[in-house]
Amino acid sequence: MTQIRLQDVSVAFPIFGAHGTSLKHTLTASVTGGRIGRDAGVTIIQALQDICLDIQEGDRVGVVGHNGSGKTTLLRTMKGVYPPQSGRREVAGRIASLVEPVQGMEPEATGWENIALRGVLTGVSHSEMQRITPEIAEFSGLGDYLEMPVRTYSTGMLMRLAFSIATSIRCDILLMDEWLSVGDADFKERAEVRLREVVEQSGILVLASHSAELIARECNRVVQLEHGRVVRDAPLERTPPTRS
Amino acid sequence: MPPSTSLRQAWQEWWEGSCNLRAWWTLARYDIVLRYRRSILGPLWLTISMGAMLLGIGPLYTELFGASKTEFFPHLALGIIFWQFIAGSINDGCTTFSNAANHIKQGDNLLAVFGWRVWARNLIQFAHHIVLIVPLAIWTGLRPVPANLLFFVGFTIVLVNLLAAAFSLGIVCARFRDVPQVVSSLMQFLMFVTPVFWLPDRLPAKAQALLLNPFAILLDVVRGPLLDKPPPAWAWMTILGWTVVNVLVAAVLFTRKRAQIVYWL
Repeated sequence: MTQIRLQDVSVAFPIFGAHGTSLKHTLTASVTGGRIGRDAGVTIIQALQDICLDIQEGDRVGVVGHNGSGKTTLLRTMKGVYPPQSGRREVAGRIASLVEPVQGMEPEATGWENIALRGVLTGVSHSEMQRITPEIAEFSGLGDYLEMPVRTYSTGMLMRLAFSIATSIRCDILLMDEWLSVGDADFKERAEVRLREVVEQSGILVLASHSAELIARECNRVVQLEHGRVVRDAPLERTPPTRS
Repeated sequence: MPPSTSLRQAWQEWWEGSCNLRAWWTLARYDIVLRYRRSILGPLWLTISMGAMLLGIGPLYTELFGASKTEFFPHLALGIIFWQFIAGSINDGCTTFSNAANHIKQGDNLLAVFGWRVWARNLIQFAHHIVLIVPLAIWTGLRPVPANLLFFVGFTIVLVNLLAAAFSLGIVCARFRDVPQVVSSLMQFLMFVTPVFWLPDRLPAKAQALLLNPFAILLDVVRGPLLDKPPPAWAWMTILGWTVVNVLVAAVLFTRKRAQIVYWL
């Protein structure tokens, strides 16, 4: 059974060497999302506080909130990047994460090598990798560019590669930070189709976005974050996509 | 449930990460291969530059110290090769986690993978250096002797210590960003007080204490056996003691601090 359960999860970042004056920090606390406090000379950013979420199979959760309200941190906490300082996290199912997927690439390595590297790092078996590598290559549409080091790629090309890799690896839970923002029209269309497939296959989708329209289209539940707290968690009527 | 600080849990995580040999070996290999990607000779440059250094410094120092080629040159050459490995791994160990931030934040791998990666990366470099022992042996008439077998014991001790250092320094340096500078200055200093370049038996009596520094002993347990001068029993005991301390420090740091590392990156 696929599920994500967060119980009273809190995540705080110590920021060393940042000395906010009291005025400045009051101001930033009011205009940005996170709550910034100070503790023994170390600035503490309370990114998530007492988060309780119970996400079950079939849930398509849209996460909304201001910049810095904790959306990305929430996704990373679900993935297991940040061990919560308090509370508990229970996850059943394999997670694929599209949170800054470009970060995991080696700039000097070629496209092919990066595919192999991501495969190894995400624990995909050698035989499985041999099977899906041509698929990834084809879907990315990068052709001969796969022979080039990825540092020569444009942002759009990098995103295409990262997306192709991440969505080729089988998963039960898909975490996404914003929908595809780059890529040309042709790729975007194919990516949408692919993404819909993956979402249909995977039991759970968690999508952080600023676009209300997108969330209404893709999700059946919405979670609103403010200052690292959940202020709204409600089911959502899914509006069928209106094509223009 | 706050992150567990139980030793068992930490051990389990460490072990699981360690078993992911495919991940850390691939990362280490890429580190080396990608660094030399745009050069024609590739990682062979590691061998060449070490060879050039030995050729430059060897004959000169042999003359300066008035020592014989057969006695001094292998001592110096192996000293430099092993020192480079030990000091290089320690300096590199400072970056275990801070340089892996991009991978760690993807959340696909356990932290232990990155400690092993640094260890393996340095081991690969060392392999490119140690091959020089062949021309060295031919040129200086170094012959295999039974005592050479002790090298494998000494080398294992070195490897354990370097792995422990990759973890403990990686953790400390992720939190305190001055420490890498401190470590590199310290290693610089230690290079001169450790018998890398000079023969320990030329040391005046009042300076004998220098030979007690753990790096001198660490060097001795790998170099001594290869030169048919196996270290005395007390040296083995001392270095085993240091190794235990080193491993314990790494285990304690990893157990207590591993959950915080990602927050420092």
